[in-house]
Amino acid sequence: MGDLSSLIFWSGLHGVLFPQLALHIPDGFLSLPVSLVTWVMAIALIATALGRVKGEHQERTVPLMGVCAAFIFAAQMINFPIPGGTSGHLLGGTLAGVLLGPWAGTLVMTVVFIVQAALFQDGGLTVLGANIFNMGLIGTFGGYYLYKALRSTLGFNSWRGMSIAVAIASWTSVVLASVATALQLAISGTVSLTVALIAMLGWHILIGIGEAIITLIATSYVWRVRPDLLYDPPQRSPLPRPLVQR
Amino acid sequence: MLLHIGAFQLDVNSQGVSSWHRLAPRTRVLCAILFVFATALTPNARWETWLVYGGGLMSLIVSSRATLSILLKRVAIESSFIGVVLLGTLFREGGTVLWQWGWLQITSEGLVILGSVTVRALLCLLMLNFLVLTTSISALLHALATLKMPPLLIAILASMYRYIGVLIEEFATMRRAAASRNLLNSPRGQRLVLGNMMGSLFIRTYERGERVHYAMLSRGYTGLPCVTEDFQRRSQDIWAIVSLILLLLLGQVVYFL
Repeated sequence: MGDLSSLIFWSGLHGVLFPQLALHIPDGFLSLPVSLVTWVMAIALIATALGRVKGEHQERTVPLMGVCAAFIFAAQMINFPIPGGTSGHLLGGTLAGVLLGPWAGTLVMTVVFIVQAALFQDGGLTVLGANIFNMGLIGTFGGYYLYKALRSTLGFNSWRGMSIAVAIASWTSVVLASVATALQLAISGTVSLTVALIAMLGWHILIGIGEAIITLIATSYVWRVRPDLLYDPPQRSPLPRPLVQR
Repeated sequence: MLLHIGAFQLDVNSQGVSSWHRLAPRTRVLCAILFVFATALTPNARWETWLVYGGGLMSLIVSSRATLSILLKRVAIESSFIGVVLLGTLFREGGTVLWQWGWLQITSEGLVILGSVTVRALLCLLMLNFLVLTTSISALLHALATLKMPPLLIAILASMYRYIGVLIEEFATMRRAAASRNLLNSPRGQRLVLGNMMGSLFIRTYERGERVHYAMLSRGYTGLPCVTEDFQRRSQDIWAIVSLILLLLLGQVVYFL
């Protein structure tokens, strides 16, 4: 790819990766204590996730996690219209959790954040720990367990239970991640708590709706076509309705 | 590590000739990390410190003859987040009120925070963009490996970087196919088609991962990524680190003078 075309592509990529009030905090926004605490938690999370995934997938770990991380990266670049007029893009935490399980999903999201911070400066280096904490731990890990709890109560093997669980978990995970981001910004003294909460919540309650819809459609596709690829595959007949409406 | 299938070229200036380019990639990464941490974690309103840091960074950028237009363009695109702090400034209390309109007010304290956060973020963005502009991605990954990042994580990162381009291309193809069939007309249709696309791309991705795994196995992969350690300590690398640390300390000392 030539210089010019790669640059055009590259800047286009950035326009898409950077929505207003994104969850990726840049460098210089968080204070030393907040950075330090979240880094320690993030490193512990990465170490545990690496160990768990290695145990689960053995020598398939590298190729499988690599392509899945590239998949999430590519999926995050797709802009889609949100009901209400704006457009947003996927965070993909709950999607990764539902498809790959909590540990592999968290690892994949972490890898995506590392690449975004190190190569694309989408989210800073000193605040990488906070970003991993917000979107990896809360968004993916929290999202997955919320989804699992909801699906177990609503009916593990029915599409109804699955769909409600996926929609609620993906919306909640985005909103909770935005609350965590607002709290970190406020504790660091960058923005006052009320402003941070109003700005972050107001925007992400909307973004969360888009996230829920897209996650729901994507999982429904996998549920109908290859339910065995889901981390928690359903036990009974996997075809609730035909793929093509007649 | 050979990463020749990458889709985008970030390292426009990696072939330059300067004292910065002669440093080992590991040293450059270390310098960038030290600089970013020192800058980002300096408390608010230390203007002299950032002046020293900015001066050092500017002379480094100029002396290495990086393409300024590309560097500044990338930093400008990445700076859109400053809006968050700008918004926060309007509602902040404390210090003397400089401007007021209803609920909105600009106070001296708000301006200090706005300025500090902006300067910090800009300096860090400049440094990191400069690093990526002058260092190839394979060299960056190799440097991270010699800096004791877990080899498994490096291998996943490398494998991801290889496939980003492939998957973006595949997404674009599916999108083109949908658009040419008039499926992306209404917002509702767009959501449905894009969501299904993601589901189908995940299935393809998973299957691709298994194919890649078999291909790797057939080439003798045993589950452990190999990292070649060919780093040798050279005097110029040590000098670079030492002078950077001196600059960072100087910046901190200047504040107390």
